[in-house]
Amino acid sequence: MAAVATPPAATVERTPVASRSPRGRRVRPGRVAINAVLLAVSVLYVLPLLWMVLASVSDTNSFRLQWPSSLTFDNFDAVLNVDTTYRPMLNSLLLCGFGTAATVVASVLCAYPLSRYRSRVRRPFLYTILFSTGLPITAVMIPVYSMFVQVNLIDSMPGTTLFLAASALPFGIWLMKNFMDGVPVVLEEAARIDGANTMQVLWRVVLPLMRPGVVVVTIFTFIGMWGNFFVPFILLLSPEKLPASVSVFTFLSAHDQTQYGQLSAFSLLYSLPVVLLYLLLARKLGGGFALGGALKG
Amino acid sequence: MTAVAPAPHGTGHRRSRGAPAPAVRTLLRGLPTLPAVVLLAVFLAGPIAYCVYYAFTDMQLTGATGTSFVGFDNFTRAFEDADFLNSVWLTLVFVVGSAVIGQNTLGLALAVLMEKATKPVRSLVNGVVIAAWVLPEVVAGYLMYAFFYDQGSLNSLLDAVGLPQQNWLYTMPILAVCLANVWRGTAFSMMVFTAAVNDVPRELLEAAEMDGAGPWQRLWRVVLPVIRPSILTNLMLITLQTLSVFGLIYTMTRGGPGNKSETLPIFMYQQAFQNSLIGYGTAIALVLLVVGALFSVVYIRLLKLEDD
Amino acid sequence: MRVRLVTAAAFTAATALAVTGCGSGSSGSSAKSIKVVYWQNLDSTNKLQATFLASMVKQFTQANPGTKVTLVPVTASENDYYTKIQLMMRSPATAPDLVYEDTALINSDIAGGYLKPLDSYTAKWADWAQYADAAKGAVSGAADGKVYGVPDNTDTRGIWYNKQLFQKAGITVPWQPKTWADVLTAARTIKAKLPDVTPLNLYTGTAGGEASSMQGFEMLLYGTPAGDKSLYDASQKKWVVGGKGFKDALDFVHTVYNQGLGPAKEQALGANFGTTVGTELLPQGKLAMDIDGSWMPNNWSSSAAKPWTEWQSVMGTAAMPTQNGQAPGRTSMSGGWAWSVPAKAKNPDLAWKFLSTTLQTKANSATWNARNATIAVRKDVAADPTYLKAVPTNKFFTELVADTHYRPGLPAYNQVSTAIQKAMESVTTGQASVDKAAETFDNDVKAAVGDDKTAEGTS
Repeated sequence: MAAVATPPAATVERTPVASRSPRGRRVRPGRVAINAVLLAVSVLYVLPLLWMVLASVSDTNSFRLQWPSSLTFDNFDAVLNVDTTYRPMLNSLLLCGFGTAATVVASVLCAYPLSRYRSRVRRPFLYTILFSTGLPITAVMIPVYSMFVQVNLIDSMPGTTLFLAASALPFGIWLMKNFMDGVPVVLEEAARIDGANTMQVLWRVVLPLMRPGVVVVTIFTFIGMWGNFFVPFILLLSPEKLPASVSVFTFLSAHDQTQYGQLSAFSLLYSLPVVLLYLLLARKLGGGFALGGALKG
Repeated sequence: MTAVAPAPHGTGHRRSRGAPAPAVRTLLRGLPTLPAVVLLAVFLAGPIAYCVYYAFTDMQLTGATGTSFVGFDNFTRAFEDADFLNSVWLTLVFVVGSAVIGQNTLGLALAVLMEKATKPVRSLVNGVVIAAWVLPEVVAGYLMYAFFYDQGSLNSLLDAVGLPQQNWLYTMPILAVCLANVWRGTAFSMMVFTAAVNDVPRELLEAAEMDGAGPWQRLWRVVLPVIRPSILTNLMLITLQTLSVFGLIYTMTRGGPGNKSETLPIFMYQQAFQNSLIGYGTAIALVLLVVGALFSVVYIRLLKLEDD
Repeated sequence: MRVRLVTAAAFTAATALAVTGCGSGSSGSSAKSIKVVYWQNLDSTNKLQATFLASMVKQFTQANPGTKVTLVPVTASENDYYTKIQLMMRSPATAPDLVYEDTALINSDIAGGYLKPLDSYTAKWADWAQYADAAKGAVSGAADGKVYGVPDNTDTRGIWYNKQLFQKAGITVPWQPKTWADVLTAARTIKAKLPDVTPLNLYTGTAGGEASSMQGFEMLLYGTPAGDKSLYDASQKKWVVGGKGFKDALDFVHTVYNQGLGPAKEQALGANFGTTVGTELLPQGKLAMDIDGSWMPNNWSSSAAKPWTEWQSVMGTAAMPTQNGQAPGRTSMSGGWAWSVPAKAKNPDLAWKFLSTTLQTKANSATWNARNATIAVRKDVAADPTYLKAVPTNKFFTELVADTHYRPGLPAYNQVSTAIQKAMESVTTGQASVDKAAETFDNDVKAAVGDDKTAEGTS
């Protein structure tokens, strides 16, 4: 892939920003201004988030950002029940958890030959994968439904999980392949000489070196699936199997003029798992910059 | 194409150990791709093939039983449909405005500025920008709806600093959804560029500084040329992601008012599911894929020029 | 490698399909069970139908031991609901045994081959004679005249107005406008006297869906001199384009929204404005007039999320006048929902039994119409005193049935309706002039039904 032009060896062992010696030590004059600009940007970024948090504990319904006159947990009380929150969240965790696992495993396996061996199909395959990352999944739902009916996967959580996994695969494979390109082949060869087979090499040598890549793909995939509304809505028929993305969407459509408090509370709860996942995994990345490893040219 | 450099090593090595015949070997090597290939073939390639077929038929979800082949009718219809052309235009505005210009520039600016900022500020910016990106799309759409709403936070803010207010979602919805997409998506570019800027060899910068280059010149003459491949790769990815954005716009404006924020994914959804015109809707989806491919080809070309 | 991979993939896929495919025969419902699909309104606090259907299932299973009725609510926007049931009805494996649909869409689904004709059942069902002819017409196939559903309610539309606000503005109540101009005059008076009150709500825009087409536009259009021939000319079997009535109706929409007589545009164009009108604007006295349906008291009953008991003294009802007061002087639109059996239902006999012996008995119909504040389609229910007394406005709205209109029961109506909403939205926002919007509508209709199926309107 042309996109990854730097010699692989340079990529992986790059340590994140935090540990670099600050290059800007001598450049002082602009620093205050830079900090000020960045703070202003942060404020713009924080406002909408702050509104959600405040609205969820406020008893006044308003789109304006305002400090609540009194704190209340009524909004959370109203949505914290089996039908609105617990069951859909559990379904979401099952769908997205297994879906992400499947995507990550399949893309690691798929990325290895793509990264290591030359073949005539490699390039067309990669381009196809790249283009399909821009595919609007809504477009294929009609044939997918017909197919699911024929193979009796309709209204099946495993079936839906597999479809979610497949639809996240193109981007997953692409990212994973680029990360893998960054792992020096020299290290593998040592293991090969010791008699390790491909799977052993992948598991013992390559994966440990590209943990940031696996983490990034995991986060990406999970975030995408967690927010996917249309796929589960079409493929699952029983109301008790629907995930939280469907309930948040119907909740939104039903109450867009009213009950901002409950909606905000629900949005907050609904966002919690992805934020937690991010915090948990980003820690392992030492700051969250590993993504660049896969994408810098 | 440095990426393929490792391949010869591998090949040479395996052969020398008296590995199986080439055909069998190729197959064995390809084996790990099997789970992914099966998943893709069954769940994506099959349905996409069907979609390509649907795009040339008059299939409807309701209203007619038979489905017949209509050749390029759906496509000619599209290009005579003022709403479709409007959607193509808005899609371009959305992609160029929010991704190519918005996310890309802001991401780069943040990455460059953060290098020079104090650590607490850096962590803060990093935290909030990524937080916006981590949120589920629908939630982000809802927050942006509240933010741009007539009685929302943005107008309070403008009011507070004495600037004129706007009914954003109504008077300029496409700008509002563009800004929303910048808000939500910049983290990606920021992370890519932070890593890239971080990798610019320090010797180069120091040499430039010795020659008396100021910060702007260093950025322009040293940093940008060095990270050019990153910029192009990033552009390609965010373009493809932005092209298919649906949930964010749908929750904010549903493509309205009128069709003032109706990008192609929204238009496709409305034709296919609201009007039940599956054939027409999938034809539009194909157009969208072609638009994405065109953008990618341009970026890939540019990257290649770089290589040669 | 390419060939082998593809072969391998195909083989694996085929195996997977074969394995999973084996199960498909056994998972169907047995002869003793049926699946009933209905639309659960997005407003999750509204459990009227869920509660009613649950009690019906109980009745039925007690009377018929060993049977099982599974209720499947679909919580979604109305459009997404149809997408989903149409997909379900496409294949025998997922087709329900009973579905609940708006009668406006039945013909579309009949043409799509999704529904089963019920004539053989209705022929042997004594109660069928009780159903009003207009209601039977609404569930009959446009092409074959067969019966495809049993309607369980209808509705009419009129003007709801706030008597207190009218009196404050100096308009005498009871109020009954004679022409469109009277309606606008009242709105202007209110705007002048009570600046904080929205004078008139007229549903508009694509987000409002069928509410915009029916309550908003067709209440006007069918009141123009062309009357029943203003949208579809049944005698010629052609859709009407370029009619003067169409432009006049659009002009009314334009006047309301661009002279500040209506709600704020962006609010009116929002997806869930109907709920806001019913649960907030009217009860809070922020809206003086609302062209809306007979079911509005649902929002205010004791079982609603926010009961509003004073409505009976605050709200008045007036018939929608014709454009210039021409005969018959008033107009209304009727729709309604019906139960149908999908063509691919596994157990149509049991579904019909549930429908005819439980869901649609006289007593249960009356309960449903009373609870749901809908207009009865059965003559015996319509004369039933308990039904008439259940909601005080039932009498008024039942009488409007005499001058009501039904939407053209044709598969293409759905697309024409979308084109109407689009035209309304563009004049509401001011994005297009009335003439331009009417022209776009004409083109949209021609594209949807074909040039040969349209006729130029005369008046």
